[in-house]
Amino acid sequence: MGDIRQSLLPRDVLSAAKELLYHLDIYICNLVQSGRQPPQVDSKTQELVEEFILHAPKDRNTPARRMSALQELQLLEIMCSCFQEQSRDTVRQLMFSALFSLQGNQADESRMALLGKLVSMAIAVGRVPILECAATWLQRTHRVYCVRLAQVLVDDYCSMVPGSVPTLQNIHSASPRFCCQFITAVTTLYDLTTEELTPPLELLQMIVSWIQDDPRLVLITFLNTPLSGNQPISSLDVTPLGGLVRWCVKAPLAYRRDKKQALTNGTTESKPEVGPLFSALHLSLLQVLMLLPNILNEKGLYGRLALLQMESLAALTSDLSRLLDQADKHTHASSADTRALSQLVLDRLAQALQVAMANGALLCSREDLRAICSRLPHNNLLQLVLSGPVMYYNNIHTPPLAFSPHAAHSPIASHPTHPTHPTHPAHPGHTPLATHASSHPQYPAQPFMTGMPFPFRPSH
Amino acid sequence: MSAQKDCDFLVKRARELVSDDPCAAKAWLITARTLYPADFNIQYEMYIIERNAERTASAGRLLYDMFINFPDQPIVWREINVITAALRSDSQDKHAQFLRGLFETLPGRVQCEMLLKATEQCFNTLEKAEMLLLLLKRFPESVVQHGVNLGETLLDAEVSENVETPVNCFRKLFVCDVLPLVINNMDMRLPASLMQKYMLKAAEFYIGYVTRGPSPDVQIQGSQEGGSLKSTAVSRGSQRYVIDGLSEKSSVVAEPWERLLDILAVVGARCEWQGDKGQRSYVDMLQRVKELCRYLPSLEGDTRSRCCSQVVICAALVLFRSAFLYVSAVQPALFQGVNTLSSGPWILVEDLSSVYNDVEGERGAVKHAHKKRKLADGREKTMSSDDEEGLGKGRGRHILVNKTDMPSWSETLESFRTARESWDLLHSHDGLETEFKKICASWKTDNWLWFRIFLSDMIIYQGQYRKALSSLHQMAAVQQPQPGQQSPSGQGSLEHHRALIQQASCHYALGEYRMACEKLLDVVGGLVPPSQEPTKSPEDHGRVKNKTRKGNDLRLLPCTSKAVLPFCLQLMLACFKLRAFTDSHDDLSLGHVVVLLQHDWPQGEMLFLKTVEKICQQGSFQYENFFNYVTNIDMLEEFAYLRTPEGGRIQLELLPNQGMLIKNPSPVLGVELNTLLLQGVQTMDRHHTVTRGITKGVKEDFRLAMERQVSRCGENLYSVLHRFCINEKIIIIQSLP
Repeated sequence: MGDIRQSLLPRDVLSAAKELLYHLDIYICNLVQSGRQPPQVDSKTQELVEEFILHAPKDRNTPARRMSALQELQLLEIMCSCFQEQSRDTVRQLMFSALFSLQGNQADESRMALLGKLVSMAIAVGRVPILECAATWLQRTHRVYCVRLAQVLVDDYCSMVPGSVPTLQNIHSASPRFCCQFITAVTTLYDLTTEELTPPLELLQMIVSWIQDDPRLVLITFLNTPLSGNQPISSLDVTPLGGLVRWCVKAPLAYRRDKKQALTNGTTESKPEVGPLFSALHLSLLQVLMLLPNILNEKGLYGRLALLQMESLAALTSDLSRLLDQADKHTHASSADTRALSQLVLDRLAQALQVAMANGALLCSREDLRAICSRLPHNNLLQLVLSGPVMYYNNIHTPPLAFSPHAAHSPIASHPTHPTHPTHPAHPGHTPLATHASSHPQYPAQPFMTGMPFPFRPSH
Repeated sequence: MSAQKDCDFLVKRARELVSDDPCAAKAWLITARTLYPADFNIQYEMYIIERNAERTASAGRLLYDMFINFPDQPIVWREINVITAALRSDSQDKHAQFLRGLFETLPGRVQCEMLLKATEQCFNTLEKAEMLLLLLKRFPESVVQHGVNLGETLLDAEVSENVETPVNCFRKLFVCDVLPLVINNMDMRLPASLMQKYMLKAAEFYIGYVTRGPSPDVQIQGSQEGGSLKSTAVSRGSQRYVIDGLSEKSSVVAEPWERLLDILAVVGARCEWQGDKGQRSYVDMLQRVKELCRYLPSLEGDTRSRCCSQVVICAALVLFRSAFLYVSAVQPALFQGVNTLSSGPWILVEDLSSVYNDVEGERGAVKHAHKKRKLADGREKTMSSDDEEGLGKGRGRHILVNKTDMPSWSETLESFRTARESWDLLHSHDGLETEFKKICASWKTDNWLWFRIFLSDMIIYQGQYRKALSSLHQMAAVQQPQPGQQSPSGQGSLEHHRALIQQASCHYALGEYRMACEKLLDVVGGLVPPSQEPTKSPEDHGRVKNKTRKGNDLRLLPCTSKAVLPFCLQLMLACFKLRAFTDSHDDLSLGHVVVLLQHDWPQGEMLFLKTVEKICQQGSFQYENFFNYVTNIDMLEEFAYLRTPEGGRIQLELLPNQGMLIKNPSPVLGVELNTLLLQGVQTMDRHHTVTRGITKGVKEDFRLAMERQVSRCGENLYSVLHRFCINEKIIIIQSLP
């Protein structure tokens, strides 16, 4: 394929790109037909893509060829129809990879820019095959880039063009996979630490309505992905559950800060309250967690796969203890309002922890939880959750309340944040896929005797 | 203890939140449930939130969980009872519909179990039955186990609860709901005797339902509205009917006769009755059993008794249905839901349209049709004291009816005929009659007023007037114990009239003229004379003229003053006619005939001429009421003429003892009549002053009375004749033997 470069060079930018896409299509078809495993696009071809489609400078001496905005639009249109018309999933997927898989070189910036425009356009004109390819891309790519793509889409649809939210809203029916990945990316992006990292209201409303309509939406990627353990390093979580927990728990504090700023700035925007939205989202989240035991059991993963990470929860609780501390200090009189919001934060945290643990999304002991929650202020429900139910409540119907660290199955890491652990693909079976300590020694645990009455038992 | 406190705390928090932030409340409860999955209050609270928000699917799911996990919680059962009550009710309110929808979300197995357990906990027979019925309807396989038991429970309940009528809530449930499930379930084998018992229970219910009387309270309401008959009828058409213990909606039985036919078809098929399986209609059915009847004598044993049952049940149903259709046409006010707007009651009476025919001609006809007996006084009397004789006479009688007044006349007469045929069939063999009488006894048909009305009419049709009279008396007895049925609106008196007129008609047919007139004059006293003479429909005239009446036809007479008064007049005429024209000298009867002949003039012209002829023969005529009741100008003219020499100088004593005097010819009289009258006076002057001892004053009186009479020509004839009936009642009755 290398020899086509000579024929491309004399052409103008658009027709050269077009020609290359054409050749790429033929090349990949042949590649797939040859049955070589795994079908991989060679580096020569990659270079051609970077030169004639992404227009990355080949070397310092040759100036990069530039496309006008109109030409770029025409190229996007051509790409759109190219993906749309390709009937074979494999070919389409390989083609998408050839164009947009990050190579760790200078061309990546152009790649990201073009990808953002292509996906944005695909959403606008409803090109499902591109969204499906993008969903796969979002699963395989490092989370930093995923978040960048999400940012582009949010900017395009929620910030730049008012009234275009309904277009984005439709993606949940067009491509649920893409929608799910988008939610994961967005919840990763907006961590509520600053105002910039607080989701725009339109986005929040959209996500709440998606999940309310179909709670299983957030599990689509997880349901459709055979868990082989070869999750790319530092890719997005397999579900947005962790991000959603963070949103719901932190929201009362984050938006209180917003309100305070709005008050000091003197702007009294009459925006609808986000409170009910997060309340609904939190409920949906718990309902999704309730779906998990069946799904996990079907996949044979109950008690072996933690969809919520102890690490990220630990980060959340330490974040919370800092924020609550600050809130307490800033409001000197410790107003009733602040106290109520703090309690709401802790209520939601306790609920998320309890329900996640009871449904096998969180694999840890109550002792582990007490460790990560030790610095948080007092909350009745949290105390109840940390101490666990009173066990002499005898009833034969009682199912296992939470994952037991001494169960027959060892947990597996669904999450590729431990690159040091080698993973064994393809054979989940009974082989432990990862050795995961049942308790987390890195968190200092409070001394706690199981038989003893818990000192912080809620005062009813 | 501590666990309980935890649970109370969790539920309490949820309750605090539910009004402001229901999502948060639910989040609390979800959490609580993962902590204490075995706590009932937590799940119940979850359920209550969903139920109050009327979210069918989630509430259903939670109810299911509670039913599975807490089967012994009284609260769960209270909830299930609320839901099953909604299932049984026909309420359309939103909450009831939600509860029904909630039940539908449950898996069938749970529904079945829930209904069974709810049934077990139910102590009220009706509720229990309704609940079990829900189960049977949803789960046909449960019919085998519970169907017959449920049916028997309902039938037992009728007895133990002392219900008065077969149209009761237990029977309704049995017949309309349980029975179709039981007989249509092919997995069940039921003995034929049980099937027939159920069939008869169903028939009794449907017949009772169709023939139910209007409820008394509504009738009073109707009478308050206007008092006139029509307004009562209007309100009755739209009145509502509720079977005690049931809701209004479930008290409605659509197409009862069709449902009964459906059941009959299934029972027939399952009892292996003869004939094709699908019973097409009641009329077809009668034809089939009629044919079957012919083979009956040749059958034996089981086949015979099976055949017997088939004939009796089928014929009885056809009989009751046809009789109902007939009676609902002639006595619509008896029934609820029958449209009474179109026509009032009708009376089956002797047809008297031939009353104006020549006496001789009629005598011939009477002779031919009735056996007659010469009595001591020489008067001819028709007799039918013997029932056998009457029966023979009844064949092929015509029933006349004014087709414009009764548009459905042909259906009505057809129903009457079919009912009579069924009756005859049921009495054609001893075996059939015995079976039929058993049915009648168990249904107490003797107390069915409407059926008694049919029977009376049938007996009249058969010509068994003596029997008919006793039946009519019996009917009065049936009517009496229900004073509530008598409305103050005049309906009662109309019913009363109906019976009297029919009795009069029977007495007449038996030759008991005095009794006939006595009954009639009772009726006439209560009538208001119609303000106008009825314009006769050309058809009526046509029939009378074209057909040679045999004199033993019947007529359906509308029970209205307008129709009844003419009939009474005709009947009286018929009573006096024979007597007036006997050889003996009976001026009183002759006078009555003259008065009565004025009605329907000139229909009776021929008879009037005959009267005149008789008077001429006699040479004299005394009738002191003449000037009170004769206003017909033709008659007056004729009588004036009779006194003239040309007229035969008949001695007429038509004045009451005291007369009035007028001097001069009245200018209101025509020239012709004046001439006649004056002429008469002159001739009387000349020839009879001495011989007859009649003073000039008397002659003057006659002349003046005539003049006055002529001026009365325009008077409403009905008023005159009505007055005649009322004032002369005693004389009229006394003048008959």
